[in-house]
Amino acid sequence: MVENKELIKVVEETVSRDDVKYVVGYKRGTYGFQIKPAFAYSAKDAKEFFYSPLCAKNLATYPLLEEKLPLRRGEEAEHKKIGIVVKGCDSRAIIQIIQEKGLEREDVVLIGIPCKGVIDPKKIAKRFPKQSKFVDVEENNNDEYILEIGGTSHKIPKDELLSDVCKSCEYPNPLLYDILIGEAEEEFQPEHFNRVDELKEKTIEERWEYWEKHFQNCIRCYACREACPLCYCKTCMVDLLEPQWVRRSVNLSENTAWNVMRAFHLAGRCISCGECERACPVNIPLMELNKFVEKEVKEMFNYTAGLDTEEKPFLGSFRPDDPEDFIS
Amino acid sequence: MEQLTLPKEKLPELLGEIGSKFELIGPKEENGFLAFRKINDPKEVNLDILLSRVPPKSLIFQQTETLFTYAKGKDSKVQTPKIDESVRVIFGIRPCDARGYDIIDPVFMGKKEGDYIDPFYTKKRNRSILIGLSCNEPDTNCFCTSFDDSPANTKHVDILFTDIGDTYFVEVVTEKGEDLIKNLSKIFSKATEKESTIRKETERAAIKAISRKMNTEGTVEKLDKMFDHEFWVETARSCIGCGICTYLCPTCHCFDIQDESTLKLGGRVRVWDSCMYEEYTHHASGHNPRPSRMNRVRNRVYHKFNYFPKNDGIFGCTGCGRCIDYCPVNIDIIEVIDKVKEANI
Amino acid sequence: MTDENPYQPWIAKIISIKEEASGERAIKTFRLEFQDEEVKKKFTFLPGQCIMVSVFGTGESMFAISSSPTQKDYIEVSVMRYGKLTKALHLKEEGELVGARGPYGNSFKIDEWKGKDILFLGGGIGQAPLRSVINYCKDNRKDYGKIDIVYGARTSLDLCYKDEFAEMSKKDDLSIHLSIDVEEEGWDQFVGFVPDNLKRLNPSPKNTIAITCGPPIMIKFVIQNLLELGFKEDQVYTTLEMRMKCGIGICGRCNIGNLYVCKDGPVFSYDQIKDIQGDM
Repeated sequence: MVENKELIKVVEETVSRDDVKYVVGYKRGTYGFQIKPAFAYSAKDAKEFFYSPLCAKNLATYPLLEEKLPLRRGEEAEHKKIGIVVKGCDSRAIIQIIQEKGLEREDVVLIGIPCKGVIDPKKIAKRFPKQSKFVDVEENNNDEYILEIGGTSHKIPKDELLSDVCKSCEYPNPLLYDILIGEAEEEFQPEHFNRVDELKEKTIEERWEYWEKHFQNCIRCYACREACPLCYCKTCMVDLLEPQWVRRSVNLSENTAWNVMRAFHLAGRCISCGECERACPVNIPLMELNKFVEKEVKEMFNYTAGLDTEEKPFLGSFRPDDPEDFIS
Repeated sequence: MEQLTLPKEKLPELLGEIGSKFELIGPKEENGFLAFRKINDPKEVNLDILLSRVPPKSLIFQQTETLFTYAKGKDSKVQTPKIDESVRVIFGIRPCDARGYDIIDPVFMGKKEGDYIDPFYTKKRNRSILIGLSCNEPDTNCFCTSFDDSPANTKHVDILFTDIGDTYFVEVVTEKGEDLIKNLSKIFSKATEKESTIRKETERAAIKAISRKMNTEGTVEKLDKMFDHEFWVETARSCIGCGICTYLCPTCHCFDIQDESTLKLGGRVRVWDSCMYEEYTHHASGHNPRPSRMNRVRNRVYHKFNYFPKNDGIFGCTGCGRCIDYCPVNIDIIEVIDKVKEANI
Repeated sequence: MTDENPYQPWIAKIISIKEEASGERAIKTFRLEFQDEEVKKKFTFLPGQCIMVSVFGTGESMFAISSSPTQKDYIEVSVMRYGKLTKALHLKEEGELVGARGPYGNSFKIDEWKGKDILFLGGGIGQAPLRSVINYCKDNRKDYGKIDIVYGARTSLDLCYKDEFAEMSKKDDLSIHLSIDVEEEGWDQFVGFVPDNLKRLNPSPKNTIAITCGPPIMIKFVIQNLLELGFKEDQVYTTLEMRMKCGIGICGRCNIGNLYVCKDGPVFSYDQIKDIQGDM
């Protein structure tokens, strides 16, 4: 259980440091179960910060979204740190980015939050539709979520609203942090990401039909890419015009190219936060692709992304005994 | 305006008949959300979910459209594809989405002498007969009433259906609508005074059920004075730069044009584009007039609430709420406009 | 650009290509002739207007027409090799076909300027739209007063239309003032930036229209210097640039504030744009 008072205090202290530019965390959204990223530039901004099982968004994407605009003459680039509130998976995103030299450890101050899993916004919105005011959710010690709507209290078994990715999470506690709020969660036995297992049981034709059905709905808004903390290439290859790898036409062929390419580019890099799937406006089950690749990488190369900043990135390393029987 | 009724159990018969005579498009549930698709069987139509995920603007302003083809090789013969002009019926469109067409019509169809006319949009628009469906139960982020619209507004459609219990109250609004009805078997009845009263009450209840409101008064003038306001930096801080708000918007009309060729034939295609993307305004020289998310978020808000009013005399917003519903970081346009009004200048 | 489809270009043949500048910032002038006699006959434009040029398979880009409307047999565009389309265009040879549609946008108010002195201030490839006006004025020489052309580029290799300037300077009905940014062997004209050359020439604002086109930073200082010299805001004209796709005010991307550069521009007087709110 994260005490909001303690969180606010830590954010206040962090943002007050001379070497910190701002702290990004969560605040209450404008309706329903929505949360918003909150940015504290001074101690007074910290008051609106909060944490609850609704805080799914992976904020690790923000330091990489900072535009590096051309400096005016005489102007110097600012080398201040960015404070980020991180859960287990979020911290793994930061580790992975540091591993890839996308960030330096010194660029960030990590406020760690031991996570008990987050609520799937689509599941809870379906369960309690038409909430025009923000509704907070708490978790009790009995694996239940508690929320109050119009004076009525509801108790929902955790399992019914928990994000699918959280059910198979092996790292609920931040693996990298500067300050930890509350106490680390006990390690628990994660489930398999059974949606991949279900998919594996299908025939190849059935699987193709399944993905075709989803990919033809893709509108190529690239929300999956923008929401992903690991999709931080300066120019995404899908935006390149010379050469143009993927056409702009939105049709099954190009959409498939995009979605498969995205999954491949996250091989050994995806840290299973589930942001892409959460952001997708047309319900494409992107985590099934990511989890499938994650499993392959783990089984073939015994590699897990985002565990150690000093480790070499999966695709940037080579071992003589790497399996090569897939090359025929 | 002719007022008719249709018993609900007769709807499949009606749709079946329309489908046998014309192309029929309607709302269908797919992968957990609603989409406007060709209807082959009236049973496919879903009228329970309020809004389609992608607005039906995609039926008129298609996401991908071939503008012309060119032969590869020496002679470069160019040819415009034939645009279907046969009648097509779009059933189940909500009044706000139909109003979306009204807002972008002047952009594609010209508003004054000498304006260019986009034949792809214009012909699709003209061939479409809109049978609207009133929203009896508006959703969380519906705010069409903020634009003097109503969840049962007849103004934007050819025929409007309103669910009044066991029956649909049917209003035939335009000549196009009358012609369609004339073409169909006589399964409609004349509406009674009582039914007309229920319809009005239904609309009133629906209007009352809309809880969100955008106060647009004075927005255009206020925005004129706050282009360089720090507020835009703050508002854009959480934006991740995806295209959801623009692609799901019924009034966003920006597009990209690209050449796509195969070995023998090439096509120049237009595809939806989004001003939220960095690449959108990037010059070949490397210069980008909108280099940061601040510029891009600001442009989106200005386009809808300042440029549209100045150029076309209308806000570029229907109040459908999709950008609020699906923004991954809860950038809420109602809150943005509220804050514009509060901002100190 | 048929009546039915404004996006479909006419076919035009490249009848000649002239290399204006070489090296990294190569510039070529393409002379285009519409293949359809009808189109050729009815195509008219005014100086300052633009045309969308297609290389089929690559795409299209908007260019200022650099020839004068007084020349009715062909149109010319001067193109610097820079992005995807301009690279493809530079690979084209004489006799090859391209697409062209237009003309688009507004124009310089050449009719209103009859009887006035005209001062041209161009930089680099920015000279292209000015060339159209210069040649128009040359062909209607008696309608205009004194004509001064101030033109500069980074190096002598980057200067466009060198032989045309040489030809013009043989007559004494207009004055040409060239410059390059840095000293070069054999260069006997002004060394420095265009705004500085303008200051040195110290032209009188009396009954004069100043037109400037070039890199944004040059335009900024040229306008600053013109105002210092006593030019009024409505005596100064320039052109604005944005990325374009449709060219006909629909696709949305070339807006600066509520104006679309493709149809409301590209020509603006300084008093029209000085307070404009928009990203440029």
